[in-house]
Amino acid sequence: MSASSIRMPSVYEATESGLPPMRRYIRDLRERRRFIWHLARTDLKGKNYGTVIGQSWIILDPLLSAGVYFFFRSVVKSAGTGNARALILSHLIWGVFFFTFTQNSMNYGARSLIAGRGLILNASFPRAVLPLVAIVKGMLDFLPTLAIYGVFHAILGQPFGLSLLSLLIVIPILTVFNMGVIFIMAAANVFFRDTANFLPYLTRLWLYMTPVLYSTKEIPANLKVYLRWNPLYPFFGALEQIFGAQFPSAGYLLAATAWAVGFFVVGSLIFLAKEREFAVRL
Amino acid sequence: MPSDSDRPPAIWVDDLWVTFRASREGAPTLRNSLVGLHRRNERKQAMLVEALRGVSFEIPSGAVYGVIGRNGAGKTTLLRCIAGILPPTAGRVAVWGHVTPLLSLGIGFNRELTGRENILLGGLTVGLSADEVRAHFDVIEDFAGLGGAIDFPMRTYSSGMFGRLAFAVAVHLNPEILLIDEALSAGDASFKMKCMDKIRELCERDCTVLIVSHGLEVVKTLAEHCIWLDRGELRMDSPASEAIDAYFAEEDVDETSAAALEDV
Repeated sequence: MSASSIRMPSVYEATESGLPPMRRYIRDLRERRRFIWHLARTDLKGKNYGTVIGQSWIILDPLLSAGVYFFFRSVVKSAGTGNARALILSHLIWGVFFFTFTQNSMNYGARSLIAGRGLILNASFPRAVLPLVAIVKGMLDFLPTLAIYGVFHAILGQPFGLSLLSLLIVIPILTVFNMGVIFIMAAANVFFRDTANFLPYLTRLWLYMTPVLYSTKEIPANLKVYLRWNPLYPFFGALEQIFGAQFPSAGYLLAATAWAVGFFVVGSLIFLAKEREFAVRL
Repeated sequence: MPSDSDRPPAIWVDDLWVTFRASREGAPTLRNSLVGLHRRNERKQAMLVEALRGVSFEIPSGAVYGVIGRNGAGKTTLLRCIAGILPPTAGRVAVWGHVTPLLSLGIGFNRELTGRENILLGGLTVGLSADEVRAHFDVIEDFAGLGGAIDFPMRTYSSGMFGRLAFAVAVHLNPEILLIDEALSAGDASFKMKCMDKIRELCERDCTVLIVSHGLEVVKTLAEHCIWLDRGELRMDSPASEAIDAYFAEEDVDETSAAALEDV
């Protein structure tokens, strides 16, 4: 008798769409962590292969955007001088960097399944691998920009303090939030192929509704009532406090956590429930 | 469950049905589904494709099986079900062992990366650990026989070279059940011979191989047994030469016709 007769077989049956057995799914995902990491790295490496400046685009792109927004802001309203201007500029830079993290995650997420079509049709693996690749890519794009911001923070004479350590709490919460967004976008794009086409408009609208180009203090009270329901609002509120050398308020952190958990749970459930259909739909 | 035989089963397929809804509409965009809400009746006309219709068979471990049939007979769908990629609409598939699907060449390969980097990527794609891949690195490189090209980005490769590397990766990563879909047709004659030797060697190590090919000569030399699919139904499940002869008789092709036997 060979070992294979004793071993339990993998059985594939027709089941109603529903959730896969979670414990086994998570174990399979864990076994694939090297694959996730490698796929994310090689994807990014391949993406910037053709351009002269290559990998540095990851940093240059949000930095140039921040520059354009600063110019735009100065045209609309005087950015002031000295400290006031330094504050606006630093707020713009970290704001755009953090927003780019969410924006990149959405873009990678929406395209993850379509781009991974060949993989989905020809190899068997837990499909959540592809959204996870998207978040790792978003992360790999984001972390270098955070280091660059550190330099600007110093040059622009912004305060340093222990409160900056709170980033170690806010960034993981933001990552969980982005993960939820990715799951939703990835599944949506399989069923509505034009989701990815809407994204540029959606992200721009979201950018203007989030305190990225302006600070929370500048929002008129009558608008604040609505804007604070933007899921990204508590994140940027907390970040504004942190970069101003204050500890983030509990209210912001709780709201941010609630949004992150909500998006993650809803997104992953939608994704997992639909995952078996992907091979048929693509 | 499968009947007792002298060899334990590796693949067991029981009354397998797979149906797709093929629509004449374009891509599933938001606009199309909104428009579709108003045109329910028209949407219902979407064609129901029965790719597999109640197929049942059993493959003992260590066997080499061929799958033959016309275009659109359901061969690739069958392989995808066995690999766990497509969910069955009804029925059941059970596999004992790790399945390495070679359904399309170089899955997971990134054309911007070098051949060397892609060996690791390809191995991870089929579910191996990085250490397992590294242990076979030299053998794979040697088998593919690409020389210095291994350190060049794969976008500079010809399709033959691409296929050689893909096949080399797939067969060297200790597959237990290997599914091959038309993969041999890319290489040149000497590489094809090398592949056949490798497949025979794998069988001696108890690897089960299921091979789809229109190059019936390949099926005839390698496979001991053949499954003939005809419009989604199992037409014949018998020793390879019998099935191929019957297939030729049905298709009214002269068996000596070189074009039908060879990969074109």
